[in-house]
Amino acid sequence: MAKSKSRTEAPQDASEDVVMQELPTSHQPDVQDDASMAEVDAEDDAEVEDEEEIEDDTQRVRLLPGSTPTAASFEFLNEGHTLGNALRYIIMKNPDVEFCAYAIPHPSEPKMNVRIQTYEGTTAIEALQKGLKDLQDVCDVVSDKFVAAQKDFKKKSISS
Amino acid sequence: MDYDPMAMDEIESKGPVIKISQADTVRVKFELSNADISFANSLRRVMLAEIPTIAIDLVEIEDNSSVLADEFIAHRLGLIPLNAEGIEELQYSRDCDCEEYCDHCSVKLTLHARCTGDENMQVVARDLVPSGDRINRVLGTPIINESSDGLGPLIMKLRPGQEIKLQCIAKKGIAKEHAKWAAPSAIGFEYDPHNKLHHLDMWYETDAKLEWPPSEYADWEEPPQEGERFDFNAVPDRFYFNVETAGNIPPDAIVTEGIKVIQQKLASMIHDLGETEGGENGDYNGPRSPEYNGGGDGWQDQGFTTPYGNGGNQSAWGGGAGGTTPYGTTPYGGAGAGNGGW
Ligand SMILES: [Zn+2]
Repeated sequence: MAKSKSRTEAPQDASEDVVMQELPTSHQPDVQDDASMAEVDAEDDAEVEDEEEIEDDTQRVRLLPGSTPTAASFEFLNEGHTLGNALRYIIMKNPDVEFCAYAIPHPSEPKMNVRIQTYEGTTAIEALQKGLKDLQDVCDVVSDKFVAAQKDFKKKSISS
Repeated sequence: MDYDPMAMDEIESKGPVIKISQADTVRVKFELSNADISFANSLRRVMLAEIPTIAIDLVEIEDNSSVLADEFIAHRLGLIPLNAEGIEELQYSRDCDCEEYCDHCSVKLTLHARCTGDENMQVVARDLVPSGDRINRVLGTPIINESSDGLGPLIMKLRPGQEIKLQCIAKKGIAKEHAKWAAPSAIGFEYDPHNKLHHLDMWYETDAKLEWPPSEYADWEEPPQEGERFDFNAVPDRFYFNVETAGNIPPDAIVTEGIKVIQQKLASMIHDLGETEGGENGDYNGPRSPEYNGGGDGWQDQGFTTPYGNGGNQSAWGGGAGGTTPYGTTPYGGAGAGNGGW
């Protein structure tokens, strides 16, 4: 079977075990494949290398291997549906983005993966950055609107 | 990229709208509309689980002659709501410079009660006395609602002659770690009161309409017309929140704090991404962290490939061509760009 080359310090056996178990036979030979691979791919990556980012708790976003400029998978540590779904939505709103999805590969690992594929002219990282900023803008608006609604409500309850 | 991220709805107008329908010291009810369910749910989740508050975390029991086990009492103490005003100035104990806890990262409360009468005695939250240098005068003080006659929640009862003496250390935390740190006591969250979207499948014996009471928001939205066709394109866009507090944080502050927590998450992600790109002079050569790159050169790295890539040197997706989207040759339609499938 097509084996992955593992990095020098990565425990070879462990990583390949995972690969062999998880890899459906039909997926082995060809590289060009269908969309279902997006998630399988990202999941496997997350499991193949695991140690290094855990010791570094400041860096919570990571680019997963196998990414290209316009098609990348990101791994978020200690994030889940709370950020994942909202981020996925706002990134999909970007007309330059062809595809965006998120997954939590395993329930007992505190990781969340985001897959972004863009059209030419922008990159997945730019799309992610833009998504994060757009979500910030949404938060700003909702926050302002809530404060305004509070004032409104107080005014009304005093006058009535 | 000329589109308006604020326009979360297709029939966009001025972005998200908030209407408050009820607000007092215990709850705030509001409607968030013109927003997507993913954002509304993020807000709900973050308010439930990630707003920092303070709760008793360590209990040292000096004397306990009551009928209740030490750990049972300790658990009850943990669940007593404490005032969280000024919590942002309190440090997390794990981030603090001190050994175990100190005035910068904790509030100390003591409880000492003995039943001297000949009736059973109640030990209540009011008997918990904060001590030491606190960040302000209220942080960590047990919440006493008017409904409890100024006593607060019942902790335990003592029979004549029994005694309880203990010290508590209250620390900062979030409900993701333990529910005792939950900022709201509950959050109501609903949408689509007439179930037009069929997100719910109502159980019934003979008629769901008769057996299920209408939502309090049923009047806010148009009921389905007789014989109305199901709208396959409809998405929920009005969300009714009911944020209720036990008193540790005012209900409206829970909402604003919740948004703040999302903001902080996003800010930390943006910061991290900046580091990921690590000053690679702007071009697309290796937006990844240095340790990840392992001192390699550039984008398509050395042998650190996915299980799917055969050649060590190309991504699993493209043929190493870098720029093409992997879907260029998929059944999803021709030349990636242009056909606007998504
Ligand atoms: Zn300390």
